[in-house]
Amino acid sequence: MAAPGGAIMEARALGLRFGAVEALKDVSIRIEAGSVHALIGPNGAGKSSLLNCLSGFYHPWTGAVLFEGRDISATRPPERARLGIARTFQGIQTYPSMTARENILTGFHAQMKGGVFSGLFRPRSAIRQEEEFATRAEEIIDFLELEQDRHRTVGDMSYGLRKRVDLGRALALAPKILVMDEPMAGMSPEEKGDLARFILDIRDHFGIPVVLVEHDMDVVMDISDRVSVLEFGHVIAEGTPTEVRSDARVIAAYLGGAPEAEAAA
Amino acid sequence: MRPTGIWHASYATEARVLETVRSRLWLSLFGAVLLGLPLMASPWMLGELTNLFITLIAVCGLYVTVGMAGQINIAQSAFVGVGAFTAAKLSNMGAPVWAVIPAAALITGAVSVLFALPAARVKGFYLALTTLAAQVMFPIVILALPMSWLGGLVGMPVMPPVLFGLNLGTPSGLYFLGLAFAALAVWTTYNLPRSRIGRAFRTVHDNDSAAGVMGIPVTRIKIEAFFAGALYAGVAGAILAYMLQFVTVSSFTLFASVWYLGMLIVGGLHSPLGPILGVVFVTLVQEGLHTAGNAILQSGSGLGGGAVFAASSLVLGLCILAALIFEPRGLAHIWHQLMTAFRLWPFPRN
Repeated sequence: MAAPGGAIMEARALGLRFGAVEALKDVSIRIEAGSVHALIGPNGAGKSSLLNCLSGFYHPWTGAVLFEGRDISATRPPERARLGIARTFQGIQTYPSMTARENILTGFHAQMKGGVFSGLFRPRSAIRQEEEFATRAEEIIDFLELEQDRHRTVGDMSYGLRKRVDLGRALALAPKILVMDEPMAGMSPEEKGDLARFILDIRDHFGIPVVLVEHDMDVVMDISDRVSVLEFGHVIAEGTPTEVRSDARVIAAYLGGAPEAEAAA
Repeated sequence: MRPTGIWHASYATEARVLETVRSRLWLSLFGAVLLGLPLMASPWMLGELTNLFITLIAVCGLYVTVGMAGQINIAQSAFVGVGAFTAAKLSNMGAPVWAVIPAAALITGAVSVLFALPAARVKGFYLALTTLAAQVMFPIVILALPMSWLGGLVGMPVMPPVLFGLNLGTPSGLYFLGLAFAALAVWTTYNLPRSRIGRAFRTVHDNDSAAGVMGIPVTRIKIEAFFAGALYAGVAGAILAYMLQFVTVSSFTLFASVWYLGMLIVGGLHSPLGPILGVVFVTLVQEGLHTAGNAILQSGSGLGGGAVFAASSLVLGLCILAALIFEPRGLAHIWHQLMTAFRLWPFPRN
């Protein structure tokens, strides 16, 4: 039951304040099913605030967040995870003492059964369930090319690998949409290339739309279907990468303002 | 590091703890020795071992709450006390041993939930203080209740455990009771990390804010971690009650709670092997000190029992300090490293 126009997720006239700072002013965006949608803008433009409103960390003061046509503005992050909104984090937010496969298995928590007593006594049904979900975790491991590292402790892994585990855990939630906060930050060009490929595969093979905040303009322009440009809490432009790149306001307000960004564009 | 030459055809066999025939053989042999021990050992020795089993059960519970879920608990001894008083009360009401022990576990679990509720809100030092409150309140509550309920200051006698007409109140009977439940405790402790709930415990330990966002109900999981740990405490308390034949509040002190934590830290917080190694090691050190202390007392050197008691605490303190400084991952980690070195030999580790 998608909203009209194929939008899976929608922000309608969001407003958010932190004290005197207006982080978001009348921000509306639509995430189309099956698209990669990037949020860009200079520092402090409100990208992360918007992302946090989508994933439930922040609750907008005005406006509404719609998911599959339903108003979910009041729900908290765990509930949104159950609805099918998975997110990956800025920096490293994996479980360092657990192996890659265990990290991914934790993503299945809501889909699995069994409480304390099932955990303690490990009945046959629990063993069967473990087997079933290990198979599913291996599918994700296979997709993310983590086969060599499945039993490695995540705390011992490189940054890029940990980000991949983080992504795997989000995929285990069987999400309907994936929200990624600066997925490429701090990565080497090779790692960025790998991740860009994974994001496109997630869209094409899993059919999961991706919303991401990203600073690397090359990546954004290469992989996005839609780009929303924010500045001072407003959406100043939205469209395909080509449209956005040639938008006069974007060039003036954002790309023109920062020489390195201009070079990148 | 896994043993060489072992290949798994299914995820179920991969999850096994004992992967090789040899390891299964060693464990069976060890089990046979433990089963045969009452034929040779003195009643004193059996009593010591029963005590060790009881401590092991309690520390396994602590491993679940503190080691796996990262929820500090310095009231395990009070929870053992709840189990012991429950067992005493139920045995006086004529309940048989097979009903008393599970009931003691469940009632202790229920009591722990009461004190786990704050764990949903507080972390670290504050949680430590909250559980300390549980430990302090335990004797106060028992003493404040009417004498006829739990015996108040005097305490309560415990009816001997009888199973199928067999009196288990003898040294060897208690030994087998302790052994059976210690084996159960170790088995369940090894099961937990391989389960849905066990992984959820560990996510709360590793990164509870991420866990919440990734769909794990953090508050509920924290409370369940206390509940699971207290189940073990309840079982330990029930068996201890049968062993002591009389329960009083003075048997369940903060001091014992700290010893339990110390054993877990020395053994290793992050491996189910930790409780086993920690309890065995610290008990051996304790017994060594007692023997040495008795020798000193009898030698007439003028040192009092107080000094010997202080010395044993000092040595435990030093053990914990040494563990924290030299190997925070505990004896279990040293063991795993030795196993890795053994399996890689003659090639060096790393």
